[in-house]
Amino acid sequence: MRTAAFPIAIFALAVLVGLSPSFLFTNFRADLGVGTMSLLLLIGIFALLVAGVPLGFATGFLGAIVIWLNFGERGLGLVMQRVYDLVVTHAIIAVPFFIVMASFLERSGIAKDMYSALNISMGRMRGGVAVVTTVMAVIMAAMSGIIGGEIVLLGLVALPQMLRLGYNKYLAIGTICAGGSLGTMIPPSVVLIIYGLITETSITKLFTASFTPGLMLAGTYIFYIVVRTRLDPSLAPLPSESGLDEDVPETNSRMELLLNLTPFLIGGVAVAVARALGVGGTEQVATFIFSSALVAFLIVAWLQNRDEYPIAKGLLPPIVVVDLVLGSIYGGVTGYAEAAAMGVVATLALIWVRSELNTVMVLEGLEQTFRSVGTIMWVTFGATVLAGAFSLSGGNRFVANAIVGLDVAPIVIILAMLLVFFLLGMFMDWIGIVLLCMPVFIPIVTQLGYDKIWFGILFSVSMQIAFLTPPFGSAAFYLKSVVPPEIDLVTIYRSFGPFIVLQAIILAILVAFPSISLFLVR
Amino acid sequence: MDPLTKERVTGKGPISGTWAYITGRPDNKRVTVFDWLVTAFSRTAMFLILLGVGLTFFEVLMRYLVGRPTIWVNEAVLWTGSAIYLFAGAYTMQRRAHIRITAVYDIVSRKTRLVFDYIALFVIVVYAVLMLVGSHDVAWKAFSSWERFGTVFNPPIPATMKPLVLIVTLVVAGLALNNILVDWFGRGKADPNQEDESHPKEAKR
Repeated sequence: MRTAAFPIAIFALAVLVGLSPSFLFTNFRADLGVGTMSLLLLIGIFALLVAGVPLGFATGFLGAIVIWLNFGERGLGLVMQRVYDLVVTHAIIAVPFFIVMASFLERSGIAKDMYSALNISMGRMRGGVAVVTTVMAVIMAAMSGIIGGEIVLLGLVALPQMLRLGYNKYLAIGTICAGGSLGTMIPPSVVLIIYGLITETSITKLFTASFTPGLMLAGTYIFYIVVRTRLDPSLAPLPSESGLDEDVPETNSRMELLLNLTPFLIGGVAVAVARALGVGGTEQVATFIFSSALVAFLIVAWLQNRDEYPIAKGLLPPIVVVDLVLGSIYGGVTGYAEAAAMGVVATLALIWVRSELNTVMVLEGLEQTFRSVGTIMWVTFGATVLAGAFSLSGGNRFVANAIVGLDVAPIVIILAMLLVFFLLGMFMDWIGIVLLCMPVFIPIVTQLGYDKIWFGILFSVSMQIAFLTPPFGSAAFYLKSVVPPEIDLVTIYRSFGPFIVLQAIILAILVAFPSISLFLVR
Repeated sequence: MDPLTKERVTGKGPISGTWAYITGRPDNKRVTVFDWLVTAFSRTAMFLILLGVGLTFFEVLMRYLVGRPTIWVNEAVLWTGSAIYLFAGAYTMQRRAHIRITAVYDIVSRKTRLVFDYIALFVIVVYAVLMLVGSHDVAWKAFSSWERFGTVFNPPIPATMKPLVLIVTLVVAGLALNNILVDWFGRGKADPNQEDESHPKEAKR
């Protein structure tokens, strides 16, 4: 069997099978019926995924087969058409931009400085370092839209610090992974961009809607940490108790506050000037964002070789990026793709003034981005082929009618879908779940009279849970790659328990009260 | 980046920096000419990301500082983006990093894994060939008539992207065959499943 002729034979066979419609089955149709087809598709997907076939090709292949069986050779033009339509969609360009921004941030010392800055502000309180870790996770989530890099960074920066201070390791690990997963929940988020594209929902509205739930999650984590460490102080010793008080240096807090506020004060002045000159509303917002970001950047450059203001030095770089990216999106100044591009430029500029910019860093950042974009986009290609084939063959309508026709309350159907997310989330990445489920689920959701934006938020909270649930919660694997070997996967998964419960509670609240997600977009 | 390439990139030799990276050896245990070509091409194409960022930033500057929005940046970025998504897929294939579920793959015997790899090869090639059957004429027509986008700037996006979708998909199918030949039948005794790039954990990063 170990001969190179065999794979070549498989290749040739596959080419023949692929070419067969053009010379064998010109008028061939398989009249399977929609029900049988849907069932066979489900089995086919399952079988191919179990065999480890890459998701994007498994779905593309099944989609192409479905088209071929239903519409014959002439229908096959749809395969390339679907992929082409997707690659020329302008909105997706934000995906590589946000990923490249995160890849560069990961390779700079910006996160480390931010961590020290937050540590000075809050490190002295009970459980402070865990709270700092969560706050840092939120800020980083507001700068980038993916998980992975964030968890790795927190694992490298925050975990050793917490363990050194004698924090309970389960609390420390749980905080890092739950906080780090927020990257896909707090805008900008690649999960929401892809969801918006697939379901034809406004991505800006999704970003706006996800803001409150994201902060609710983070707030719940902080609340949990504070309460739990109050109840059991041994979980989180104070720096003074561990004899590590010198870890938290003194600083001039008034000057620090002033430095952190200066950009916004100057931004305010600039807006006043702009208003006096009589420019329009959007331009006023733009003036505020650009001038405050520029001033913050200049202060960062000025602080580079000084040590007396560690808080401003650590917090202003993230302020530059968040101000530019989220400010432009929420202020309606630019679209999110342009906001992302500005974020990348700002990140590179910050890394440059920190004298951390070098060829290896840029090349590695680009390489990582290229690979992530390749995996995300090609799964999307395959799924768009399958989704197109399925809906053209009437599969969507069939499944939607079957489910809507069930004699159960609509909310039960939504809960069942969330259960599907949860189950799939144990084995599959978010991207696979969006692309496999949404084309089928979304018509049902809208037919039942629910809001697609609300459902997107529910999905993204479910994915927070999915990142943490064993056996394949990806957060655990990211963290495992950077922790000392004595922390094994079992320990990591055990730490997630309380946080999964918290996420489930938030999810339940969001299901019960849709207006929490929707009040900002109405 | 593997240590050897890093050394050459940071080194002072006649070929260093970005050029050393582009011409460097692909980061696999065994490589073919095909791997070299795809890797060198991809490592060049990665800079399209920076081009896209730069162009978009330029547009923002033109709009808010100069007050003269351009008509061409939007579509230039569109073209750049499309090229990024397509080329990135070929690179991801070369790195064996496409998303797949390895829960079962990891626990079955070596022989079964080989069978699974054959199934994957079959699936990918059929997908590519069915795409070819369905759209070779469409792609050729778009290219030969230099089909344009139909906007004010009117760039030849369909003329270039339609054939490119097809070509890259076929290259990916070729890489699928290449990967099996290299990993399972290449010279030397290396076990393909020991190579870390075949592991999906890396794919997610």
